[in-house]
Amino acid sequence: MTEAILYVIIFLTLYFQAFMLLTYVSRSARERRAKSPMTADFPHVAVIVPCFNEESTIGSTVESLKALNYPKDKLEIVLVNDGSTDNTRSVMDAYANDPHIMVIHKENGGKHSAMNLGIERTTAEFIGCLDADSFVHENALSEIIPHFDHENVGAVTASMSVHEPKNALQSMQYAEYLLGIALRHIISSVNGLYVTPGPFSFYRRSVLAKVGGFRYAHQTEDMEMAMRLQKAGYTIENAPRAQVYTKAPHTLWALIKQRTRWTSGFIRNAWDYRAIIGNPRYGVLGLLIMPLGILALVAGMGLFVMTTIDTTRSIASAIAMQGEVPLTFVFSMPGLDWFYFPITEVLMLCLVGISIIFVTMIIGKRISGVPGTLGAGLIWYLTLYSLISPVWLFRSVRDVAFGYSRSWR
Amino acid sequence: MTPAAQNALIALVITVLLFGTVIGAVEYLNRARVAELSNIEDKIAIDTLSLETQFDLLAEAPCTDITEGSVLSTELNDLAERLSYTEERLGSDNDEVIKLKRQYTLLQIKDYLLMKRLSKECKNLNPVFVLYFYSNKDGDCPGCAEAGYALSYLRSTYPRLRVYSFDYNLDLGALKTFEAVLGIKPPFPAYVISNAKFNSLTSLSDLESKLPLDLLATSTATSTKK
Repeated sequence: MTEAILYVIIFLTLYFQAFMLLTYVSRSARERRAKSPMTADFPHVAVIVPCFNEESTIGSTVESLKALNYPKDKLEIVLVNDGSTDNTRSVMDAYANDPHIMVIHKENGGKHSAMNLGIERTTAEFIGCLDADSFVHENALSEIIPHFDHENVGAVTASMSVHEPKNALQSMQYAEYLLGIALRHIISSVNGLYVTPGPFSFYRRSVLAKVGGFRYAHQTEDMEMAMRLQKAGYTIENAPRAQVYTKAPHTLWALIKQRTRWTSGFIRNAWDYRAIIGNPRYGVLGLLIMPLGILALVAGMGLFVMTTIDTTRSIASAIAMQGEVPLTFVFSMPGLDWFYFPITEVLMLCLVGISIIFVTMIIGKRISGVPGTLGAGLIWYLTLYSLISPVWLFRSVRDVAFGYSRSWR
Repeated sequence: MTPAAQNALIALVITVLLFGTVIGAVEYLNRARVAELSNIEDKIAIDTLSLETQFDLLAEAPCTDITEGSVLSTELNDLAERLSYTEERLGSDNDEVIKLKRQYTLLQIKDYLLMKRLSKECKNLNPVFVLYFYSNKDGDCPGCAEAGYALSYLRSTYPRLRVYSFDYNLDLGALKTFEAVLGIKPPFPAYVISNAKFNSLTSLSDLESKLPLDLLATSTATSTKK
């Protein structure tokens, strides 16, 4: 029975990967990759930076926005201090005299309220969000705007990456984000995105006016907004060369907390927008992406449980079998003989899956132009990710099951 | 049909083909393993026949021409190890595995009988025999894994020890007769060590205590698992 479940999971994983690779070479994806950056007729754009206790990072975030290759008179930067209790206010006030920067201070009300206040204060045609722990490449904005080439495009996402990873955990995330870049690009070409990430996603003002502003949504407002846009029939595009760098958690605990928030947010928003799941009206998103997203969550936990039980059993049986036989005999290396190569169907299929993951990461790196080397990241991704991701999966399910809400930090 | 639906369909075909290819490749490898085992068994069968012939000529040939090293222990040990691995991979109810086990069992019985005769005639040969009977039936022999592993270790420690392992439930006339002649009965594991019968020995120390250690010289050799 467990073997059958394992084969079903592997089949669906490989099916998803095959679908992704096929979509990558499809015409719609190729056309999206071929879009040129904006060089004329720049529309009026605003970037809202919601801040809560971001004194150490807000400066570099603003400086990267000021360095954008975009006409200054067409770009408005809106800094919204959401009731910070640290020195964020004074750091932000230092920019108050800049004619292209608007500084707003408000009572703490959550990211959605900061975003809505920023939207309210600007008249820009396209409105973006940039989390205050992120910074952008100078060409990011001119790469994004051309993707609003159809009135039905409600939002455009960027390519998020980790800037100069410092430790194993950040290297793992660097590789993971490259995978995300490729998947986001591919999935957007079949309008299957269900999240418009905080770092540098842009929205069409007229669409926001129709669907409404941001809402409190289980601390994943960007996911709720994307699902709302999808439900309303708008498309969400992706600009793969629009590089934005986010500050990836550098400790295990910080990473677990962040991912617990994302995963529990996904479960809760998926429940709120369950009408999308399995609904042919929403195409690839409804029939493939959302169902497989939920399945991946269940499978991740199931595989962890199965692997833990199997490993425990094997260790117990090995200990029982070893009995009084010396360890030197137990660990004596068998000679190299093809006969004993432990080649099984599961191992071979997993190797195929891992190879496709590697190829997808390379695709992510190539289409985005994100600098850095993948080698160490890939190794950390393959060794660490499956060990630590079950922690946030179980934690998220527990939070949702018991109605527990966690703080942002 | 939309391009996405077309891709979904093609992806399904690719995945099915991929599964089929991998399953086929592993099946091919397993068949190659079985063929390798069959080759080894054929070789041992010829060696056994050769030894029998050599033995028939014993009246004219001096015993010094036959040493324990010249007989089949290494090949049998190697075969046992490969067979055990294949059984683990393909399952003990696999037809090929059963066929190979039957041949292996016959070879072991023949080797045992031959070695008994040789050791009686040639005083320079002093092998110590361990006949080990295990059961693969669920719950029949919880200690067999430990016992098999301990025997592998003993075999590697004492090269003069000749361990023959038999699946008690294997459907083979010669084995049934062999068991009847020796009077082998549950509980398992059951042993005949130097002509004495034992049951339920599983630990290394228990097994070692039953061996005539004075006849066994310590050295290293190829290991063999059950």
